[in-house]
Amino acid sequence: MSYSVLHTEDNGVTLYKKIDDDGLSRMSCFGHHPPFQDWLRANKDNLPSDIQAKIDDGTLTIQEAD
Amino acid sequence: MTKAAELAKMGEVLTNSQIGGRRNIIINGAMQVAQRGTSSTDSGFGTVDRFSTSRGTVTATQSQETLASGDTPYSLGFRKYFRITNTGTTSATNSYIAIRHRIEAQNIAMSGWNYTSTSSDITISFWVRSSLAGTYYMSLRSDDGTAQNYTIPVVLSANTWTKIIKTVSGDSGISIDNDNGIGLDVIMWAHLGTDYTTSSHTSNQWNTYSGTDQAPDYSQNWNNTSSATFDYTGIQLEVGSQATPFEHRSFGEERNLCYRYYYRHASDGSNQNMLGVGYVDSSTSAVVQIVPPVSMRADPTAIETTGTASNYGVRQGSGVDVACNSTPSISGDSTSNVFVVNLSVASGLTANSACLGRAVLSGVHLSFTSEL
Repeated sequence: MSYSVLHTEDNGVTLYKKIDDDGLSRMSCFGHHPPFQDWLRANKDNLPSDIQAKIDDGTLTIQEAD
Repeated sequence: MTKAAELAKMGEVLTNSQIGGRRNIIINGAMQVAQRGTSSTDSGFGTVDRFSTSRGTVTATQSQETLASGDTPYSLGFRKYFRITNTGTTSATNSYIAIRHRIEAQNIAMSGWNYTSTSSDITISFWVRSSLAGTYYMSLRSDDGTAQNYTIPVVLSANTWTKIIKTVSGDSGISIDNDNGIGLDVIMWAHLGTDYTTSSHTSNQWNTYSGTDQAPDYSQNWNNTSSATFDYTGIQLEVGSQATPFEHRSFGEERNLCYRYYYRHASDGSNQNMLGVGYVDSSTSAVVQIVPPVSMRADPTAIETTGTASNYGVRQGSGVDVACNSTPSISGDSTSNVFVVNLSVASGLTANSACLGRAVLSGVHLSFTSEL
């Protein structure tokens, strides 16, 4: 399972999609979606390049765990 | 018990318990509602509403199961339970697995529990069964301010439904905001590796939360037991020092409470259901709105689909029916009481006109999450 950037809307909100092991995407979410944040924390040292780019440009923030 | 003792007990109950109205702060404690399905290998939410699995370095299946008529909880009106099944084995010290229920802060703040007072109580009761005998632990964890953790020992014989009852007093260190964030996390640990436990941990009292000292060391290892199962139902958290009988709520009422956190907007079994009305803004894109049956806790953070774009479509006037070429996505314009969904097609739509979002197969859904 992985995530990638889906698109950025006209209002500037970026959407991300989860890609399941079978290659299908069954979920799209905002950057603050808790399971996406869990995944970001678990994979922060080896993120896909498009996700890393969003972190590098400040669009996406990895939040502290609860 | 003598008459005098009975009267004294009754007085105690009247004094210390909330005997009327809504008692159970837990939503879906009887595990009735499972909008997402009945079995999943996912971590997090996957089956039973409001209950998630939290796990690390272990594989497991979560499922909603049906009680047998010979199971003790069945005779008390329960029909469903939540099960986790170990699908691997590991002795890793960072391995853990839990069934988790997060209570919205305002539901604790306004429950009547004076949580900062040592003379004010809540009582938790639940049914639990494990295929592996041993002492397990439940954590009650506050989230606001400096997080506090209260550990409850859960002693189980193998394959035996056991009812656990524990009364917990308040503590001056607890902080609960009156908002829609996390208030109290009820965590039933089937296993917690030694990276997160200590032999000196003190149970049955509030402690400042520490990630490396969440419970005493586990003497048995559920995560290292092939095909081990852990079952859980009938969870009730109520104000007062008495565990009253489980507050059974109707399926419809419980499901409406669940909708605040997750709503599956599904076709009803027939083909070509209409998901929502909207407008076409270009030859390749449309947006539709869906109004949920109840306002959600907060603006939804995600949308779930079947994963197959062609399960969805857009219908315009004059018989124009176009299949989607990507799965629907949630729009940033969505709010807690109106969801806005983006639909994309390859071509063929007429801009600036009305449309319907369609589900073209039975069972197709759009699901919105605002879970804690």
